[in-house]
Amino acid sequence: MTARPFQQGATEDRLRVLKGRSRSGGLVAPWMVVVLIAVIGFLGLIFARTSLDNSAFDLAELERSIAEQSALNQQLSLDIARLENPARVAPLAEELGMVVPISTNQILVDLSPSGPTVVSVEAREEAQ
Amino acid sequence: MATNRSAKRFGADRVRIAIIGLFLLFAWAGMAYRLVQVQVVQAADLADQGLSQRLVARELPPQRGKVFDRNGEILALTVEAQSMYAVPGQVDEPLWVAQQIGGMLGVDSDVLYERLTSDRDFVYLDRQIDAVAAEEILGLEIKGIYAHPEATRIYPAGQVASHVTGFVDIDGNGQEGLEYVYDEQLRGTPGHALFERDLGGRPIPQGISDIVPAVPGADLNTTIDLPLQYQAQQACLDAIEKTDAESCWVVVLEVETGGVLAMTGAPVFDPEARQTLNPTCDGSDDPDGCRAFSNFAVRGMYEPGSTQKLITFAAAIEEGEVGVGTVVPDVADVLEVLDGACDSGDSDVYGCYHDFKEHATADMTVAEIFIRSSNVGSIMIAERLGQERLVSYIEAFGLGSKTGIDYSVEAPGILNFAAGCQTCWASAAIGYSVAATPLQMAAAYAAIGNDGMWTQPHIVSSTVDVDGETEVAGTETRSVVSPGTALLMRELLASVVEEGTGRAAQVDGYRVGGKTGTANKLGDDDRYTEQTRASFVGLAPINDPKVVVAVLIDSPSREFRTGGASAAPVFAAVMEQALHRLGVSPDVG
Repeated sequence: MTARPFQQGATEDRLRVLKGRSRSGGLVAPWMVVVLIAVIGFLGLIFARTSLDNSAFDLAELERSIAEQSALNQQLSLDIARLENPARVAPLAEELGMVVPISTNQILVDLSPSGPTVVSVEAREEAQ
Repeated sequence: MATNRSAKRFGADRVRIAIIGLFLLFAWAGMAYRLVQVQVVQAADLADQGLSQRLVARELPPQRGKVFDRNGEILALTVEAQSMYAVPGQVDEPLWVAQQIGGMLGVDSDVLYERLTSDRDFVYLDRQIDAVAAEEILGLEIKGIYAHPEATRIYPAGQVASHVTGFVDIDGNGQEGLEYVYDEQLRGTPGHALFERDLGGRPIPQGISDIVPAVPGADLNTTIDLPLQYQAQQACLDAIEKTDAESCWVVVLEVETGGVLAMTGAPVFDPEARQTLNPTCDGSDDPDGCRAFSNFAVRGMYEPGSTQKLITFAAAIEEGEVGVGTVVPDVADVLEVLDGACDSGDSDVYGCYHDFKEHATADMTVAEIFIRSSNVGSIMIAERLGQERLVSYIEAFGLGSKTGIDYSVEAPGILNFAAGCQTCWASAAIGYSVAATPLQMAAAYAAIGNDGMWTQPHIVSSTVDVDGETEVAGTETRSVVSPGTALLMRELLASVVEEGTGRAAQVDGYRVGGKTGTANKLGDDDRYTEQTRASFVGLAPINDPKVVVAVLIDSPSREFRTGGASAAPVFAAVMEQALHRLGVSPDVG
């Protein structure tokens, strides 16, 4: 038996390189990506909606609080006005010994640029 | 055998499975039917039902505008109160409930019991009560008793400014005074809200929502000075106590602008306690209190007496008929205008005029006649003027027609010049046959203070809407006499206070001018009575008048029957405060 000589051309015809499947493409199918995005989108939508609702409730609460504070402000304005009523203040002032000033007790304050000076009515009339 | 048993059991199982299958089939079919019925057939109706349960429509009441005085002090404002109500069908023990809360509300328990046992679905127990009191009652947790918020009108100055502000009824509608005249501007525009609510009553986010907010009413800025208003009212109350008068009225005007600084009187009333009008006082247990709400300063007409002489003299001087120094010869203390009038002995026969004090016949200057307030001399001067010109000046000074002040139901006054009346001109020259309001007299004197320029009195200086836009009230002005005549008249008025009948009107530190007036009141039988209306109208400082004060005292006791005795002191007290409040420097030592 003699060895068959190596036939280079024949070997080349039989052997070929097969293209392998990519690793990543094999693990996650495109539809899974779509589903994943849809789920994330759905959850995001729910989260956004919940946040929006919570904000709306917060807003309603704030508006209620503003209304309460406005009512309180009105009430305080009323209290101040009642306390400043001359019919309440005048008798108290009299009790404390205060009197309504008479004309001759008036004091005029000269606010000229040279500086404020206090001038009595009598002094002004004498000067005139 | 085993095969047969197995076959039988298999057959029974198939039957059971078939039955269960059928049951499930029917169940699913039933559910599907119901689903179709609910979701398709009845869908629209059910959706509407649900929506109607969730949907709430409410009217949003506007906030009524505030009323301020010239210094920004609040005269009227609206705050939130609580109104207590009951659903009678839910109240278990009405008698006990009525007794329990009757005292807390200050409402008669019998009245409450009647309401709680009525067959109505809703009854008010008390409206617009304090929030603290409402909470106290709600704290009792009585079934069927509830409260809801409701706006209520408050007047912090109470009775002090009541004659200016007026009042509103329980539903917030203006009834009197500024509240009535400016009701449309004050009340604002209601809004509305349409929204979906959850079980807690909160608006559902993203639900149906249509909200048009209410537009608050405009605020009124007035010319009133609250401390001066108080002082004027106190002066009136003191005068009533001192003179035993029926009433006292004061008007204070700013000369240049016609702004009303104070307008008040006594008796007084509390605007929060009065919410209905009853001018005739029918059925009132308290006629005095009932009458008090009517503002005599604007609506009351009286014969001004000698204060009217200002117009007569100003007209005669303006027309050149007399000067201040003109001598009028033979001025007696009695004058017969109608032949035989003084012979009848009946003082009510018109045509016979007397001076207040008897005096010898003498030549008198125009100034002397004015200072002594001689009726006879005044009529003699008016005779030179003639009725036609006299009436034209009376009208020019604003008597006989409304001043146009922004206050409800102003009286125009009366000019009684009936055709054929032979004495009306003479009566009018001394303040009879003419009826004027205190406000008209104040405006007439203000014209003299304002160099002959009559200015329409007004209370509101501006209105401010919710956007802060201000609308300034306009006023009408007209020239009635020349500045020269006005100056002469001011000097004559000053002489009356310095040496005539108005000495009690003097104010320390200021040169004041004014005129007293004393007019007998007409009785029910149209005959003059012994009762008088005493008045004083004046202005200060006389060299540059800033303020006019008119005082009227109705039916003072005999001791105080004249304007000089009763009205002049009130004038002095009010004028002094007015000058201080305006910061007017004293002009005499």
